[in-house]
Amino acid sequence: MPERTSSRPDVSTRLPRGTAWRAVVASTRNAWADFAATFTPLSWTLGWLGRIVAQVIFYALIGSLLGSEEQVRYLYIGAAVLATAMETLLVVSTSTRERYSGTLPLLVASPSALWPVFLGRSVQWLPSGVATATVALFVIGPGFGVTFTLADGVATFGVLVVLAITTYGYAFALAALVLRHMRLRNWATNLSYIAMMLVSGVTVPLTFWPVWVQWIAFAFPITHTLVAIRHLEEGVRPGLHVLGHVGTAVLVSLVWYVIGAVSLQRLAASGRRDGSIEFAE
Amino acid sequence: MTTAILPRTAVAARSYARGVSAGLRRELRELRRSPDRLMALVTAPLLTLVFVAIMLNNGRDDLAPYAVLAPALLVLWQMALQTSGDTVEAERENGSLEALVAAPSSFPAVIAGRILAVTAVSMLGFAESWAVAALVGVRVAIVHPGVFVGALVVTAFATACSALALAALFVRTRAARAFQNTLTYPFYILGGVMVPVEFLPDWIEPLTRLVFLSWSSDLIRQSLLPGPVQGLAEHVVAIVLLGVVSCAIGGFLIRLALREVRESGTIGHA
Repeated sequence: MPERTSSRPDVSTRLPRGTAWRAVVASTRNAWADFAATFTPLSWTLGWLGRIVAQVIFYALIGSLLGSEEQVRYLYIGAAVLATAMETLLVVSTSTRERYSGTLPLLVASPSALWPVFLGRSVQWLPSGVATATVALFVIGPGFGVTFTLADGVATFGVLVVLAITTYGYAFALAALVLRHMRLRNWATNLSYIAMMLVSGVTVPLTFWPVWVQWIAFAFPITHTLVAIRHLEEGVRPGLHVLGHVGTAVLVSLVWYVIGAVSLQRLAASGRRDGSIEFAE
Repeated sequence: MTTAILPRTAVAARSYARGVSAGLRRELRELRRSPDRLMALVTAPLLTLVFVAIMLNNGRDDLAPYAVLAPALLVLWQMALQTSGDTVEAERENGSLEALVAAPSSFPAVIAGRILAVTAVSMLGFAESWAVAALVGVRVAIVHPGVFVGALVVTAFATACSALALAALFVRTRAARAFQNTLTYPFYILGGVMVPVEFLPDWIEPLTRLVFLSWSSDLIRQSLLPGPVQGLAEHVVAIVLLGVVSCAIGGFLIRLALREVRESGTIGHA
């Protein structure tokens, strides 16, 4: 009798079966595989990283046009940090791909809740986003007058990680909403990213805008983490002030994570009820 | 019967024109149904606000023409790039690229028609960025209207030609979308879309002269600023010449690529 072999994917984790975190960890395998299929180390470095660095330099050059070294630094830091948020927003694209490829109904039918699957589905963008901003800030940044002490540099790296994780929450919620309106997926990503560029202190200070616009900006985690990074670059020690901004970003992102999880569960529930989750749009 | 008495070149020209017309109509239909294809036009107003805000925050209202022109040029290039990549990639994904190539109508003509349609639509970016700036109280006057319109026409021509050359490149690769992404911001810098190329290091400047956008952005900017337009003929000749070279390269590469993929059978997913 032939030996039976299992075709189930190897999802070796010590987390107990049936838990949400087990599904999250299993889903991250998909994320890494997706990333490996999208980029080779060479295409990521020359193609993706090169493109992002060019984008950062593009905005820094506006500072040269203005004839202000301070503006060169301001715009460079803003654009470099935005790169992390921009990449993290690609969560929307990779999440909605599940619907395009027809796997969403299978996920809805599976015993696991939907939100843990999507929470782990796009984590590949977190290290990628942090890496691009790290290269831009610490490797190329000195050429544009952006410098950090060792301690502030390490702290800035930490804030970049927090920025990626907190923006992931926003993108997670956005993806959950866009899964209902697939035609808007690229609009949602691009408009979010440019809105952040506009109001989150990336290109002009928050105080440039009226108060009501500032309140909208507070909903983006990058608004808070970017202030912290600017303080660190200016040499302000990571005291309570910096931690306060980082903490606010975390709290804001928790709200987004909850919105995302609830929206996904509602999507699954309504899809089961009225059969609105088709195999592909 | 009419065909029989027409010289071969006239028949070929008519066939080519039909291909262009079919591609153009097809693309206009596609644009109406695919909001994603109009993404650049959707983001242009916000980008205008970004650039205008930077100028106003620094008290540099005099640089408003730079801030208004840049988003329009970004739209122009982005849409051309998107079409040249997506046209081939979408047909490939759809499994219709083989049929399109095998059809009696000229493949380069159909692609050229599609690119022409997109280039025409992308000119709306200029109206958008001017309108948005005016809405926030920044009015940019067109000081030399004749130069402005002429510059737009030759720029549109060069954009369409560049897109054709890129489409030829994308026929040969299965990583069209990766190229699309990479060819944005480096070109915006080399094209002086926002910041004139004089602000770049000296060693880069010769390279910028090979990018038609650097001539276009300079000429259009000059048409918005007071004072005489410097080197009008030189700019126009450079833009047209670079466009013609791109068209020639594009046409040659597409024919070459088609011959190769027909011989090797590697055009589709197989």
